[in-house]
Amino acid sequence: MEKESKAKEGIKGWINPAKYGKFGIERFAWILMRITGLGLLAYFIGHIYETSHILDGKAVWDASLEMTQTTEGHIFLALVIGMCVYHTGNGIRLMLGQMGYGIGKPSRPDYPYKPQSLNMKGKACIYATIGVAALAMWYGIAVMFG
Amino acid sequence: MMILKESIVMKIHYGTALGAVFLTVIHILMRMTQDFHESLEYENVIANYEMIGYAIMLELLLILISVHGFNGLRVILIEMKQGPTYEKVVTYGCIASMAILIAYGSRTILMTSMGMI
Repeated sequence: MEKESKAKEGIKGWINPAKYGKFGIERFAWILMRITGLGLLAYFIGHIYETSHILDGKAVWDASLEMTQTTEGHIFLALVIGMCVYHTGNGIRLMLGQMGYGIGKPSRPDYPYKPQSLNMKGKACIYATIGVAALAMWYGIAVMFG
Repeated sequence: MMILKESIVMKIHYGTALGAVFLTVIHILMRMTQDFHESLEYENVIANYEMIGYAIMLELLLILISVHGFNGLRVILIEMKQGPTYEKVVTYGCIASMAILIAYGSRTILMTSMGMI
């Protein structure tokens, strides 16, 4: 019964660092994947609404564009770039993992029961993805403020 | 409740992701063909939509991201809570939202590319 109630934690279960023991980079990557996914979906809906203003003429288009032509707007767009690059990079890592690449060979589960799939290659990919996302944000900021 | 096997849905999820990444890169590169701010001027955006190839690409991008995004949302919502009624509501809700967004975005693409503004 206790196991069942733990499974019903919902969103609290996502952010509970103690749920699966050590709060490792893999768990951080998993949470970030969901946050960036939801953020990108929200941005996409907003983007579709914003671009529909083109049908209302030049004045409305210019007014709607002005919202993103501010410092705050540029910072927001830089965040979108970062979310997009991270979500893409981590998504490719997960796809490759599901195809069996980079997760190690199956072996007998011996103490201390370290999962083969959570290895240095995977960790390096997560750090690299975060690094590339940060670089893309920096480049986006340079273009938008340039 | 199963509309498609979950393994097929996930293949669609990954396929739409790869397609969306490829087309998003082209979409962003179009902004780089000229100065970023200049490329977003009304006349330039209209000219972009009037290029039939680019309009088709935008429509494809709209469909791919909508399918991927709303399926991702469905997966997240079903991860948090399970139950036959809940899963049915989430699945049909996501499909309906996806259809509405595609219809709304397609209206912009069609009307602008056909000069109906």
